[in-house]
Amino acid sequence: MRTIRVALAQLVAPLGHIRGNLETILEAYDRAEEGGADLVVTPELALLGFGAGDIYFDKVQQNLEALERIRETSRTRRAWIAVGFVEQDAHGFLYNAVALIGNGKIQGIHRKVQLVNYRLFDEKRYFRRGSRFDVFPTPFGRVGFLICEDAWFSEPARILAFRGAELLVVPSASPYDRGKPEIWEDFLRVRVLDNQLPVVFVNMAGIQDGVAYWGGSMAFSARGERIFQAPFLEPHLEVVSVDLGESRLLRRRDIRLREITPALVEDYLRAFREFSGEPHD
Amino acid sequence: MIDLELREKELEEIRQVITASIRNRVEKVGLSGAVVALSGGIDSSLVLKLTAEALGKERVLALLMPEMGVTPDRDLQDARNLVAMLGVPHREIPINDAVDWFAQFLPGSPEEGAFRMALANVKPRIRMILNYFFANLDGRLVVGTSNKTELLLGYGTKYGDMAADIYPIGDLYKTQVWQLAEFVGIPTGIVRKAPTAGLWVGQTDEAELGYTYAQIDRVLYALVDLELSIRETAALLGVPVKAVEEIFHRVQTSEHKRKIPTITRISRMCLDKDWRYPVERF
Repeated sequence: MRTIRVALAQLVAPLGHIRGNLETILEAYDRAEEGGADLVVTPELALLGFGAGDIYFDKVQQNLEALERIRETSRTRRAWIAVGFVEQDAHGFLYNAVALIGNGKIQGIHRKVQLVNYRLFDEKRYFRRGSRFDVFPTPFGRVGFLICEDAWFSEPARILAFRGAELLVVPSASPYDRGKPEIWEDFLRVRVLDNQLPVVFVNMAGIQDGVAYWGGSMAFSARGERIFQAPFLEPHLEVVSVDLGESRLLRRRDIRLREITPALVEDYLRAFREFSGEPHD
Repeated sequence: MIDLELREKELEEIRQVITASIRNRVEKVGLSGAVVALSGGIDSSLVLKLTAEALGKERVLALLMPEMGVTPDRDLQDARNLVAMLGVPHREIPINDAVDWFAQFLPGSPEEGAFRMALANVKPRIRMILNYFFANLDGRLVVGTSNKTELLLGYGTKYGDMAADIYPIGDLYKTQVWQLAEFVGIPTGIVRKAPTAGLWVGQTDEAELGYTYAQIDRVLYALVDLELSIRETAALLGVPVKAVEEIFHRVQTSEHKRKIPTITRISRMCLDKDWRYPVERF
């Protein structure tokens, strides 16, 4: 059995409080390392907070400096850490991103692709969308990231499965409303069952400006069993062992992934082009 | 489709979310506690209970501000019993003298239709001044008691009972307030009695609004949460289109009560339009 020990760092990130949030993250990093974690996962935008409005414009630099501190810290840590932050590209555009940090290096960055702009969300005001779902090798297994809304689509998880991910990591900041925890559990389990991959969902906790980030972080085995759930709303740190070998075992008999044919994908693309009004054939 | 019934799990979640949001604001702003105006009705009773849960009873000040002769004895008694039951510090300040002071400026009798509403609105505004007076005295948050039904209908006094720093039950319909109140142990007598704004003798909300809260909430839920049209709402609920229109009209004309005053935009950084910052920030 090949396992990865993932620390689900369900944190509270006050809006724009970078110094405090950095401290919270570093403290979780320490505790997770002591707890024998291989990989520490923080929520989406853990350095700046979620729903921070125009603060995203103001505090990018500070948030990058804080990320630098975490990278520095990782030199002397065995565990790697995935940190939600605001990235800025050479053109000056911002991304809602996760940095995978280990051994004193930024080993990879995932930019959120599916920005949310409905209901209370306004991400396109601030962020440019990412364009890829990459799989990152780590000493503990191959990891792919889905930032929050990325996990509400079936395609991104499938792409990561095709690219050989062994674990799907979902850093999130999900606002509470009635029934939301149940919807998330449904979505996550479907991603698992579709791809025979374990999933770790790490949600923000606490209240910001009347919005409750409900916590309830979860881990699922590749079989779709929920093997852990963190408490509602409160911050929590838990190191959970996730079996990375199970997928291979399951896929011996559950052959759905390999039954996807080029013809199917081409038809999907044709259907999509018709749907989106693009010219085709 | 109409889902106003809160399940046990949701009631527990909502209780946690509301208490955490009160605590969060008080702590983030560095205030000493909170003020709640307690009428003895269900909204303020529930808010007082949740605020006491959030902060600890000793950090909460309940203000009982009856208008003697108008506030029903029953409400005042319920309010006194509740503060005793919760062990929350309180002050009782009748507002009659202040109301009379305003009444002297009325050109006619206070009973005349045209003047009745103007004077009625003075009462919650006097209570608002007292709320903020005591809040300022020792750095407290004013916790509002408006619920979603009231906010949607505009059934409250602007800068009166609607003046507050936070609305912890502002996303719960009145019938959901009943459920949560029962869940957190507000005395049955308070939960069951007929709701009243208490602005004049014998007033009840449901008589004034012309519909029961159960009816209104179903209509509002269909229009607002399900985003149905007036016709679809009427069909779904089996109520006359005219009734739905009447309720919808109240929602549309009361938008100003749910917003800060509209700023005329001159610059590219108009403060209610282009500038977007959270209140609770560092």
